[in-house]
Amino acid sequence: MDNKNQQPALIDAKSLSLRYGSKLALDDISFSIPKGRVVGLLGHNGAGKTSLMKAIVGLASHQGSLSVLGLEPQRDRVQMLESLCYIPDVAVLPRWARVDQLITLAAGLHPRFSADRARSLLKRTSVGPRDKVKNLSRGMVVQLHLALTAAIDARLMVLDEPTLGLDVLSRKSFYEMLIEEWCDGERSVLISTHQVEEVETLLSDVLMLNDGKLVLDISLADIEERFVALGHDPQAAEAIAAAHPLLRYRQHGQAAALFDGAPPADVAALGQRLRPSLVDLFVALTRRPELNPKQA
Amino acid sequence: MATVIYISNTPPDSAMQQWDDRLPLYRQLANRLAGGLLDGDPPEGEAMPSVRVLAAQYLLNPITVGRALQALNEDGLLDNRRGLGLYVRPGARSALLQAERQRFLRDEWPQLQLRLRRLGIRRDELDWE
Repeated sequence: MDNKNQQPALIDAKSLSLRYGSKLALDDISFSIPKGRVVGLLGHNGAGKTSLMKAIVGLASHQGSLSVLGLEPQRDRVQMLESLCYIPDVAVLPRWARVDQLITLAAGLHPRFSADRARSLLKRTSVGPRDKVKNLSRGMVVQLHLALTAAIDARLMVLDEPTLGLDVLSRKSFYEMLIEEWCDGERSVLISTHQVEEVETLLSDVLMLNDGKLVLDISLADIEERFVALGHDPQAAEAIAAAHPLLRYRQHGQAAALFDGAPPADVAALGQRLRPSLVDLFVALTRRPELNPKQA
Repeated sequence: MATVIYISNTPPDSAMQQWDDRLPLYRQLANRLAGGLLDGDPPEGEAMPSVRVLAAQYLLNPITVGRALQALNEDGLLDNRRGLGLYVRPGARSALLQAERQRFLRDEWPQLQLRLRRLGIRRDELDWE
């Protein structure tokens, strides 16, 4: 990424690898995340999303260089966590606790946590200060968790599958709170998910992992520049296929093809240009593990 | 006016996904906001909602929202009041109405006319009330 006139990136990874025994979970990946971004980390289960997030928050050792907020995550973890907040995929809040007790607890644990801010964030939701966690719905617990996390005056938020298992309305309120209360043009957020359709419009950038490798690192604006989706009539299918698209699919009952870069003009003339969707890119660039047996 | 704006009035909060694959997202939002302006929402001289509020309402990235507002600004529909933000420019509604009338007469009416002719529908069969 071009660093002219730019402040240092919030996350900067160079040739980052991470292995569990003989299994390579992250394979030589490099990327950077500047301030003010909403970055989607996409990949199938086992692609390396959680491993990358663990490395970023200093919970996993790695090879290569990784700088988070200008610090080394494992060595400088305490200092780094002052400006980084994280909801892991296994996050739980104690079931016996009351909401106001959790706010008091967080205020004692984190130097940049604001209890007032947490209370005002919770006013957006139906969670009350005297409610016990065990009496809240799953959607309300996730909202509470986000409110507690967003009440930390940090520069980077890391969310691992935050909306897994939530119904559509809860997911929507979650993202509404995130966008309105967290994203201020300065802070960045890294969200992993495989509900690709849902986050597409929220993201400024995408990191796509497949089997430990970074297969796409691009801004949403650049996707429309680089990839070309063509909707076409069935008669054109053969000519389109001959031009080697990344993917052929159907959209609203119409045949379509996705190209990396502009196809030849005579091929482009056979169809009409569509907005390439992130889901189609995801399908084209990643393979489910069961369909991708390891090659010898 | 630089761009003719297609007015679509899909209710904003219907579902998670409300965008099609024909136009860039920022253009679709700009068109939707223009539809609001045509209906007087917000009225001329009043402030546009902030980027953050719009981003949360439409579940869009703030950069996309910024580009949409920028497009409306370039179309001459908004005023950038320094330090205060974007306001609906007086005359925006009539300018939009004008552009939309022209678009209808140029693009939609000939097709409608053709269809009426093919169906053999006469002027006095139509309800003009």
